[in-house]
Amino acid sequence: MALFILRRLGVMLLTILCLTFVVFFLTNLQPNLEKLAKTQGNMRMTDEQVEIWLANRGYDRPVFVRYGEWLGVLPGWVGETSQGEPVGRCTAEGMPPLAEGEAPPAFCGVLQGNWGWSTVFRAPVGEIISTRLGLTGILMFWVMVVMVPMALLIGVLAGMREGSRTDRSLSTVSIISTATPEYVSGVILIAVFASSAVGLRWFNGTATSAMENVTFQNFTLPVVTIALYGMGYIARMTRASMTEVMTAQYIRTARLKGVSFRNIVMKHALRNALIAPFTVIMLQFPWLLNGVVIVETLFNYKGFGWTLVQAAGNNDIELLLAVSVVSVIVVLVTQLISDIGYVYLNPRIRIS
Amino acid sequence: MEPLGWGAIAAQVFVQFTPVWIGMVAVFAASIAFKRRLGLYGKLFDSTIGMIGFALVLFWVFTAIFADGIVTHDPLAQVSGLKNAVPGSPVPEGTEGGAYYLLGGDNLARDVFSRMVAGSTVVMQIAPLATLFAFMVGITLGLPAAYYGGRLDTVLSFLANLILAFPVILLFYLLVTPEIVQTGLPSFMAMVLFLFPLIFLGVLFNSRFYTQPAKQKVYLAGIAGIGGLLYLSLISQDRTPIDFWPDALDLFDIPGGILIVFVAVVFVNSPTVFRIVRGIALDVKTRDYVAAAQTRGEGPWYTMLWEILPNARGPLIVDFCLRIGYTTILLGTLGFFGLGLPPESPDWGTTINDGRRLLSIYPHPAIVPAVALMTLVLGLNLLADGLREESLRD
Amino acid sequence: MTKSIDTGRRVHPGAEMYAREHLAGKLSRREFLTRATALGVTAAGAYALIGVPRPAQAQQTPVQGGTLRIQTSVKAMKEPRAYDWSEVGNQSRGFLEYLVEYQRDGSFRGMLLESWEANEDATQYILNVRPGVTWNNGDPFTAEDVARNIRGWCDTAMEDNSMAARMTGLIDPDTGQAREGSVEVVDDLTVRLNLSSPDISVIANMSDYPAAITHASYDGGDVFDHGIGTGPFRPVEMEVGVRAVIERATDHTWWGTEVYGGPYLDRIEFIDYGTDPAAWLAAAESGEVDLLYESVGDFIDILDGIGWTRTETVTAATLVFRTNQVAEVGGRVPYANVDVRKALALAVDNATVLELGYSDRGTVAENHHVCPIHPAYADIGPAPFDPATAKEMMDASEFADFEHELITVDDEWERNSGAAVAAQIRDAGINIRHTVLPGATFWNDWTKYPFSATSWNHRPLGVQVMALAYRSGEAWNESAYASPEFDALMAEALSIADADARREVMAKIEQKMRDDAVIIQPYWRSLYNHHNGNVVNAEKHPSHEFHLYSFGFAS
Repeated sequence: MALFILRRLGVMLLTILCLTFVVFFLTNLQPNLEKLAKTQGNMRMTDEQVEIWLANRGYDRPVFVRYGEWLGVLPGWVGETSQGEPVGRCTAEGMPPLAEGEAPPAFCGVLQGNWGWSTVFRAPVGEIISTRLGLTGILMFWVMVVMVPMALLIGVLAGMREGSRTDRSLSTVSIISTATPEYVSGVILIAVFASSAVGLRWFNGTATSAMENVTFQNFTLPVVTIALYGMGYIARMTRASMTEVMTAQYIRTARLKGVSFRNIVMKHALRNALIAPFTVIMLQFPWLLNGVVIVETLFNYKGFGWTLVQAAGNNDIELLLAVSVVSVIVVLVTQLISDIGYVYLNPRIRIS
Repeated sequence: MEPLGWGAIAAQVFVQFTPVWIGMVAVFAASIAFKRRLGLYGKLFDSTIGMIGFALVLFWVFTAIFADGIVTHDPLAQVSGLKNAVPGSPVPEGTEGGAYYLLGGDNLARDVFSRMVAGSTVVMQIAPLATLFAFMVGITLGLPAAYYGGRLDTVLSFLANLILAFPVILLFYLLVTPEIVQTGLPSFMAMVLFLFPLIFLGVLFNSRFYTQPAKQKVYLAGIAGIGGLLYLSLISQDRTPIDFWPDALDLFDIPGGILIVFVAVVFVNSPTVFRIVRGIALDVKTRDYVAAAQTRGEGPWYTMLWEILPNARGPLIVDFCLRIGYTTILLGTLGFFGLGLPPESPDWGTTINDGRRLLSIYPHPAIVPAVALMTLVLGLNLLADGLREESLRD
Repeated sequence: MTKSIDTGRRVHPGAEMYAREHLAGKLSRREFLTRATALGVTAAGAYALIGVPRPAQAQQTPVQGGTLRIQTSVKAMKEPRAYDWSEVGNQSRGFLEYLVEYQRDGSFRGMLLESWEANEDATQYILNVRPGVTWNNGDPFTAEDVARNIRGWCDTAMEDNSMAARMTGLIDPDTGQAREGSVEVVDDLTVRLNLSSPDISVIANMSDYPAAITHASYDGGDVFDHGIGTGPFRPVEMEVGVRAVIERATDHTWWGTEVYGGPYLDRIEFIDYGTDPAAWLAAAESGEVDLLYESVGDFIDILDGIGWTRTETVTAATLVFRTNQVAEVGGRVPYANVDVRKALALAVDNATVLELGYSDRGTVAENHHVCPIHPAYADIGPAPFDPATAKEMMDASEFADFEHELITVDDEWERNSGAAVAAQIRDAGINIRHTVLPGATFWNDWTKYPFSATSWNHRPLGVQVMALAYRSGEAWNESAYASPEFDALMAEALSIADADARREVMAKIEQKMRDDAVIIQPYWRSLYNHHNGNVVNAEKHPSHEFHLYSFGFAS
């Protein structure tokens, strides 16, 4: 088991390396760098000015070298601007402050704990990621609180008696919910529950104030929007797994022995039926990330997804890299947990 | 002229869809009559869910095909005075097209009904085709990965997982921005991705007619000739780095935005298909008939494409339906972030995004395409469900 | 209020002439006020000249205290001279003040300057610095500070200094710096400006948002971090794209309390809700903000509908569709050809664009970027609209088969107007495609887009925009229009202080702009904002300014 986890961690590391390099490469293509220079300098720069701007900041060197510096395996760049002022990666903005007379470190990349400087937000990347991730964490927590019990309930109720009317109607509900992407349901929910036109105005159509203070009013709509889309899928998985369990031999035996239906469901079927949904819920995390991006944009909740859109839209290289690292870790760790959990919950599977 | 009431609107809309109704009735009648001879497709008509799903999908397929006959106005034409007009508003005398904006006007005074119908063409062009391409890529890579295993499998699986580890939206933002388009990266990706259908078809027929060299040559020449021409016309675009193909032989130019969106969607979908194909193939590979084929001395590609693939078709067809729905949703997501398709494009994602701004007072411009998108995705889901149920009954 | 008239100082003869013109009905009151105050007459004095009592400022005095939450974009701070957004100016306006302030009624009033006077041909200005002003670090504010800032504006070596283009009369073209002797410190409270050529727009330019006055210790970088200014507030927090916060500086005595009253608020939060007006509406509906930066398009009615209070100002703010005359598209330079540009302009009916793009909330413009409310506007008739001729002209040119691409930003009204323009050009039978780019992407390369839209803010004088935007080689000339003839006409116009005399030249300039089809300019916008009914003194300003010291709550 330990070896299995170790190997998975190794693959994960390799994935992160490849992926960050891809992101690094794409964001450092010439047109993207020009775009960066113009947003940072000014919008009316000439081509020569752009080149000088890039050279002054060390963007004109080979992409591999700079990737190495970002990682922290190559010494940070030191150079001079066209005005002759010394500049360098390790002395740039956002790096840890130096004591008087202390020489700047030679290496200053991710391995040394420096995530770099966000050009859009003008703040250290590490700081931004942690605040924004915290905010998204709160959102995800409430989504899970709403989504998981609802989905399991619908799935179990539908799967208990396959083909019954309850099954048909609940299954339809879950299919409809999977067929309604966030940008459709969010829009409809805002129109119905938050606009003056319909007049219900039960909730807020924006979640900006929820960043400071979560209330029922300002957080319901974003949470429900994400939860709805994810719910259908989990419910269907639960239903499938439940129907399978309900036709299994031991359940039939129990029924023949005269155990009440209620007891069969509660004591025998449920535990086994929940193994599959568990893995599905875990694998839902990366999916939820998509929903989070849409919903945070729609409701103006400035969390991780919103940061992703800002970083990608403005070609904020170091922030985008950190965002990718975080999302890859989320995807791969949840995969790992789901695999381990599957083994743990299901004694019939052994890892060879 | 008086604005129409809701009953009259419904009747008019129903009349506009006449070609679709005729087509659907014909298909249903024929299918039900011959359903015993139609295999899995015929069995679909034993399941209510499947039939409802199929009807919904068929509705949109015919709408897309007959769109030119169904629309009442040019989907891009703006008629002064009909900005955000309510459903059933009469069009001023002397303008081209129908007498009413059946489902109202949007915030640029374009006909919501016609845009929704025209949008179905865009969606129906991109979503199924992109899914099909993704399947060809996934199958061409997934089968050998499962069949040979070993290092090939490790490398391909790693690459697939790598792409899957990207959040989809980040991937879109990296691939579909004007800056990246400037570098020509999507064109190069198109070059690689569009090669797979050629390889797939080539290998498919090559392995089938290995023993009949005459036929083999005819088929291969056909694929290389027609496919090659299509391929070159497809990838060679004016105003991109890949513009080498003479215009005389360039059969068509896909509008810039659509090609990029298409490539991005294929790219995002392929790894998932790869994983599914690989998983099923790993399972099927252990069956006796595969061993039999191997003993007969069939080549590896014959075994893969003519023994393993046909036996994996059930789950693949089901996934294909689901995936078209997913691709439709992805297209909408792109529209939502303003990436890809041009803003006046009538596709549903873009129109929903446009309409949502004024949703609280004028709900119709957003609700109409939203309902269209929902019904199509719902139809595909139901169809997949029906197919799954019926294929499990074997 | 300054006392230049009351103390017996001579009133500028130009102002007296304007007063006569106004009384003769040649000049609207608004234009008169703009011109007279620009020449150093106080608003009260100007009203006195035309024998009208100054309208009592009808607003109620706000109560003390409170936190005002404003919906606005929160943009990255820069060196003030490089400011490129009104919003950036507003973020720092609480602590970095201006020499002069442009009022909603079109007049100028002194802030850090108590008063000013211009000589007859507008080549020499005397600036009287307001006594008793201190920086919030305790340093006194003197004529030396004024002179240093003005010299800084003249620094053409700083590539993104947009003030330099506004101060050409003070700059030595050889050194690219302020000319020797052009900015004289006469005494502690007096500065004299000696211009090389007449410039009537000097005072107006001093009220523009990049003209924020900074302290001697400021050396570039984020002004929020530096924090030294003369204003009544101090910077607290700044998170780009999220929010910015300023608070009352309690340890600093603000000069303006005695002069203009205020400040009233304890704390002001600028909160960013993105560029989608639907999100602003949602913020308003849920009570998360008290004041909107600007209300646009259909949202104006919706906001009225939810019971928010609307304020309006008529302006020369506009949207200009311009071609870039040097831009290459696939190896060709389509817009160097004047017939191509003309054909595009002929294909567009400006009134239709106003209706579809801006819900008729403005007035139709005439493709020459001089507004009827500008003092020297000459009426040369509406812009011609003739799609049939447009098609002929396009077909006759070598670009008959060319597919034009109109690029606009993803802002509600800009994209709608762009769609309306594109649709009309398409209706005329000319091949065109409309591309909408999200804000983040659009602004990166926008000056080079071959055919695009630029939104221009209101400026008090017609010549200001023209000088900034259409003279050859100017930093803000993204149409890449270069015409020596036009430049000569502009130089002439800028030297004529008398608007009637200038009008003749302006007529030529306007005709030249139209003949060369530099721009398609469909409409002048009226600007609106909304507040929740409890905010005082926050009426929409024609230049989007927030005069934060006067803002407050009614209860």
